[in-house]
Amino acid sequence: MESDTQRIALGLRQRDVVVLKTLIEQYQFRLVRYLVSLLGRRDGVDDFVQETWLRVLERGASYDGHSRFEPWLFRVARNIAFDAMRKRPMFSLDSNEGDGIRSSSASGEPSPYMLAARTQDAERLAHSLQTLEPVYREALVLRFQEDLSLQEISVIVGAPVSTVASRIYRGLATLRPQFEGETA
Amino acid sequence: MNIDHHESFQRMIDESLVGAISAEKEQSLREHLSTCTPCKEYLSASKRVIAGLSGFSFEVNPTLNARILAALRPQAEQVHEVLAHHPDAMRQHNMRFKIWAAFAVALSMSIVGSALVYQVAKLLATPMYFDNAQLQVGVLVFWLLPSFCSALWMFAAPGEKRGVA
Ligand SMILES: [Zn+2]
Repeated sequence: MESDTQRIALGLRQRDVVVLKTLIEQYQFRLVRYLVSLLGRRDGVDDFVQETWLRVLERGASYDGHSRFEPWLFRVARNIAFDAMRKRPMFSLDSNEGDGIRSSSASGEPSPYMLAARTQDAERLAHSLQTLEPVYREALVLRFQEDLSLQEISVIVGAPVSTVASRIYRGLATLRPQFEGETA
Repeated sequence: MNIDHHESFQRMIDESLVGAISAEKEQSLREHLSTCTPCKEYLSASKRVIAGLSGFSFEVNPTLNARILAALRPQAEQVHEVLAHHPDAMRQHNMRFKIWAAFAVALSMSIVGSALVYQVAKLLATPMYFDNAQLQVGVLVFWLLPSFCSALWMFAAPGEKRGVA
C-alpha cells in the first residue's frame, strides 16, 4: 500500500497542484512558526513562505518519500532563509556558533513572541525567547513544537546530533530560570 | 549530596527530555528523582519551559495561501505544458530503461541457453566422434556468439524493431 509520504513524493514529481494545495494547507502554520523561530521576526516571513513553496514546486522531485515530509520542507525553508541572509545582510541573523544566524531583536520591531503569546507561561518566556540565540531557539522549536527527532533536526540544520542536543540543553538552560523556585 | 552529583542527574533530565537517554540511566534517574527535591524542581521548571513553548500561536495571513497558489499555478502548468508538448524526453527516458531491461534478459537467456545447449551437444558428441575442444568451439561459434550479438542488437536497432514501444 502506498504511504502518505510516497503519495506526496509522487504528487511533487508530477507537480500536482492539488497535492501542493493540500500540503500548503496542512503545513503552513508550522512553516510560519519555524521561520519565525529562525528569523526572530514576523514581518517578511510570508515572503519566505511563498519562496519555500515555489522551491518545493521546482525541486519537489528530490523528495523521495522515504522519510517524513516536514524535515525536508524545513530544510528547504532554512536554505531559502540563509540564501536571503547572504544576499541581504541587513536581514541577517547571527550566532556565536558561527553558522550565520543573528537575532533581529535589536531592530526595534515588536517581538513576534510577545504578540503571539497565548498563555501566561508563554508571556513569561516571550522576552527570553526573543533574545535567545536563534540556533538554540530553532533547536527548541524543532524538538518540542515540531516533535522532530534529534536525527531529523540534525539533517535540517546540517549539524551533528550531539551539537543539536547541546543546543537544546543550552536553550533550556537559558529559559529555565523563568520558572525555577516555583512549583508548577 | 554534592552539587556535581545533582548536576549529573540534571544532565540526565535534559537527555531524557530530548529523548536521548538509555533505559538504564532512565531507571537510575527515576530512583534519584523520588528522593531529590532540587532535581524534581529542575525537571518541573524544564517541563514548564517546554509547555510554555506551545503557548505561542502565530496567525497565518488568511490571504497567504491563495496568494501562494496563484503564484504556483502558472509555474506548475508551464511544466505540464512542456511535458505535453515535449513528451520525447519522457519517452526517451522510459525507452532507455526498457532497453537495458531487455538487454539484461537477453544476456541471461543467452548464458543459460548456452549452458543447456552445451549439455545436449555433449550427449551427441560421442556418437558423432567430436572431441571436447571441437564441441566447445562449435557451441561458442554457432550459439554463444550469435545469441550475445542478438542481445547487443538491442542497443543498435531503433525502438520499433526491438519490439520495445
Ligand atoms: Zn538531585
